[in-house]
Amino acid sequence: MAHSSHPGRIGTANVGSLGVDSRKLGVWTFIGSEALFFAALITTYLVFAPVNMARADAQNPKEYLDIWLTSVLAALLLASSLTMVLALAAVRRGDMKLFRVWLLATVGLGFSFLGGQVYEFTELYHHGATLSSSLFGTTFFVLTGFHGTHVLIGAIWLLSVFFKVQRYPDSPETVMDVELGGLYWHFVDLVWVVIFTVIYLI
Amino acid sequence: MAIAQGHVGHVSAPPATTVPAGLAGWLSTVDHKRIGIIYMLAAFVFFIIGGIEALLMRVQLGTPENTFLTPDFYNQLFTMHGTTMIFLAVMPMNVGLGNYVVPLMIGARDMAFPRLNAMSVWLFILGGLMLYFSFFAGGAPNVGWFAYAPLTQKPYSPTFGVDYWILGLLLTGVASIAGALNFIVTILNMRAPGLSLNRMPLFVWMQLIVGFILVFAFPALTVAQIELLFDRHFGTRFFVPSQGGDAVLWQHLFWFFGHPEVYILILPVMGIVSETLPTFSRKPIFGYAFVAFSGVAIGFLGFLVWAHHMFGVGLGPLANAFFAGASFLIAVPTGVKIFNWIATMYDGALSLTTSMLYSIGFIAMFIIGGLSGITLASPPVDLQQTDSYYVVAHLHYVLFGGSILGLFAGVFYWFPKVTGRMLDERLGKVQFWLMMISFNVTFFPMHIIGTDGMPRRIYTYESGMGWDLWNLVATVGAFLMAASVLLFLWNLMVSLRRGAPAGNDPWDAATLEWSVSSPPPPHNFDQIPVVHSRRPLWDHKYPEHAGDGHGASAPDPLVAGFEQPAIHLPSPTYHPLILGVGLTTLFFGILYSSIPPLSISLAVVGLALVAFAIVGWVRDSHKDSPYAAH
Amino acid sequence: MAGDLAHEAHESTRFYWMVGAVLAAVTIVEVAITFLPLPHELIVAVLMVLMVVKGAGVVMYFMHLKGDARILQAVFVVPFLLATVMILLFLLLFSQHVGIAG
Ligand code: HEM
Ligand SMILES: [Cu+2]
Repeated sequence: MAHSSHPGRIGTANVGSLGVDSRKLGVWTFIGSEALFFAALITTYLVFAPVNMARADAQNPKEYLDIWLTSVLAALLLASSLTMVLALAAVRRGDMKLFRVWLLATVGLGFSFLGGQVYEFTELYHHGATLSSSLFGTTFFVLTGFHGTHVLIGAIWLLSVFFKVQRYPDSPETVMDVELGGLYWHFVDLVWVVIFTVIYLI
Repeated sequence: MAIAQGHVGHVSAPPATTVPAGLAGWLSTVDHKRIGIIYMLAAFVFFIIGGIEALLMRVQLGTPENTFLTPDFYNQLFTMHGTTMIFLAVMPMNVGLGNYVVPLMIGARDMAFPRLNAMSVWLFILGGLMLYFSFFAGGAPNVGWFAYAPLTQKPYSPTFGVDYWILGLLLTGVASIAGALNFIVTILNMRAPGLSLNRMPLFVWMQLIVGFILVFAFPALTVAQIELLFDRHFGTRFFVPSQGGDAVLWQHLFWFFGHPEVYILILPVMGIVSETLPTFSRKPIFGYAFVAFSGVAIGFLGFLVWAHHMFGVGLGPLANAFFAGASFLIAVPTGVKIFNWIATMYDGALSLTTSMLYSIGFIAMFIIGGLSGITLASPPVDLQQTDSYYVVAHLHYVLFGGSILGLFAGVFYWFPKVTGRMLDERLGKVQFWLMMISFNVTFFPMHIIGTDGMPRRIYTYESGMGWDLWNLVATVGAFLMAASVLLFLWNLMVSLRRGAPAGNDPWDAATLEWSVSSPPPPHNFDQIPVVHSRRPLWDHKYPEHAGDGHGASAPDPLVAGFEQPAIHLPSPTYHPLILGVGLTTLFFGILYSSIPPLSISLAVVGLALVAFAIVGWVRDSHKDSPYAAH
Repeated sequence: MAGDLAHEAHESTRFYWMVGAVLAAVTIVEVAITFLPLPHELIVAVLMVLMVVKGAGVVMYFMHLKGDARILQAVFVVPFLLATVMILLFLLLFSQHVGIAG
């Protein structure tokens, strides 16, 4: 059946009374909610940091965290943000080949990050830092672990976008699908920007 | 799904439905109206269960040194009662009404994300069921609805009760956040042409504010619960004081969520009476902008008062002064609203329907609860009253006298729209008066015994403390309240079958939901209306008074002045339900982490279901894309 | 239909590479600065500034929030401010707390 010339009319399509895409508004609001989720985790870490140091079983993060490894992790996520935005630019141009390259590169960088985190965790474990070894262990692993979980969710999100594009190559929603997955991905990177500074550098 | 092409001034054919019949139709539904009904029914069932728990407690407390309940079971009951009423009764009732009414009020054909909407309702129900499963799995949680540390730690709470409390509420939390996102986007982005924020019905305004409060407040609870879960299962020590953990941190995180939560419970109800009072006073709301913006102010300030629940901790004079000051401040926008409602009734042509009676009852009882709240906001006073029955009185005046009475007002108001039949007014009025009297008989004495020093959350007390009489009175009152609820149930069943037909607009109301049939067609509106004022339906019915009151008459909102969008309804799907079941299974797996084989198999099955549902969901979303050609 | 449909003019690929390079440079400065013999407070202050710069870069250019619809900016900025307020208030509330817990 023929279609309305206004794909963006109320109640039918995604662009509504505010002139923004509904899904995009939803994802941004969700990101706002996630910001508070990480704020609560970071708060916990910061509240306990001095308590950890004041205790007999203190574990000084400075002695446990490897700044070089973390810098590599930061670089990986930063690079993945760049490839993500390049993937979006490619799909906007209609360059599906480059889009695939950049999107898969993003996912690959994400998994490398996770690999690096697994390595970091096992190293820490071998040096005696565990969930229950100290307040540092407790707060550090839960905070960074949940960030890692979000990286994983982001990677799955991007993969599902990838497969959706493969399966329905001429879906008119492809660009928005990529943009939304990308928004979430950048947010996960953003959280890492904060964690990197607040937990690793300071 | 069928697509029909609309034209200017032409009623487009309703879409052919492919909705399966019977139970399957409900399990796979993505229609906001059906989802709203499921929400409301489930919330009502949980309300009854929570009420039964309350009655059991009242029997136990009716006489001193009673042995009707064991202490531990009593603890389980007050925990489950509070948790149920807040998370499984009032919240979902608000969401259910909103789900049904909001899209109709703003001239939309559905919520923005119908599948997400379905997922929300199933996750809420599954979370509630998971929580209740604890009764059969070693005992329900027995730590109070705010689950203070370190009582919640394994050594003091060795059963799985606390784990069920954490994981069940995490599920309902996911449901709530998803639902709130849906409301926010729907309300901001799906309004009919001309329906600016400034013209939006106040019920919609309050739902929008609640949506924002919810998405910003819930994460604190989620994090606190996750940390507690890790303490109990994976050896962390967030809330283990003996190992440097901090019980006060739990309180801060919990109440950072907890105080905004009380506004999540009350603001939608304030929205309800902001609709019913004008309708039954035959007057526009007095000071529309004040009602709307005091809601915004409440939502904002609500994030800065949380520690008034923690004066007993001894946070120090500076913190106490700050949080007391902010709490006093929040009484101002609350008072503004109350004056607006009263001014709306002033000089109006009141018609005292049951819904109106409940609205007025709401105002009266909420004032009492608000006043006791203000007294509690003063640290020296609170130090006397905290953890006493005075607090129990306060919270029931705001939550029952406020939220529940207001919800009854809403149910009597919108029942005709939902079912096409009127609730019986005579039964309704009898029920109202019985409820009002018994509510006060039950809860007013609690101010007195609270001030007399009776602590809350004790399973019995000695005779001769001066509490005996009032406790007995409260117990009698509680049973009268139960009788009133039974009367309502009776009214529901009778009216569903034999109630007078409602017609489109039984109350001569002003908002768009009354412009369509009762119950509305699946696509809500044959034509999307065009709104020119805050009272589109009064514009239509009384064109001589139309417009925003500036003299210029407005065009009829029900005669479309623009090219109508095609009717597009998403297809029914089971994937949201499957996703919910998968997530619940996964959570059971986490809960039984101490039994690896069980835990792992549950987790694997759960994840498989989630994966299956996500793949299906992506396919659904493609199939139903509003852009897709058919 | 302002907002989305209107802002079809997107930045060039080169621009993104430049943003990426700047962010990488900031990260290198961040790491380097922790090795300098400066007072701890100063290092912390500089790091916080650099963190905000980096975060803002990601949000404004990679997430395209700069110049995007106002409502999208609002639903992000408001919770972000709230999150900051939360962290600061909690730190204030717990600033005298070490003795009790430690
Ligand atoms: C005028 C505004 C209000 C003020 C100043 C206020 C103040 C307070 C204070 C200071 C407490 C703590 C008492 C204590 O534990 O020692 C409290 C408890 C409580 N308030 Fe309010 N309140 C107000 C309105 C409301 C509203 C509108 C609701 C819900 C609809 C509500 C629900 C509750 C609940 C559930 C508790 C008890 C929590 C618990 O300890 O289990 N309050 N209120
Ligand atoms: Cu409060």
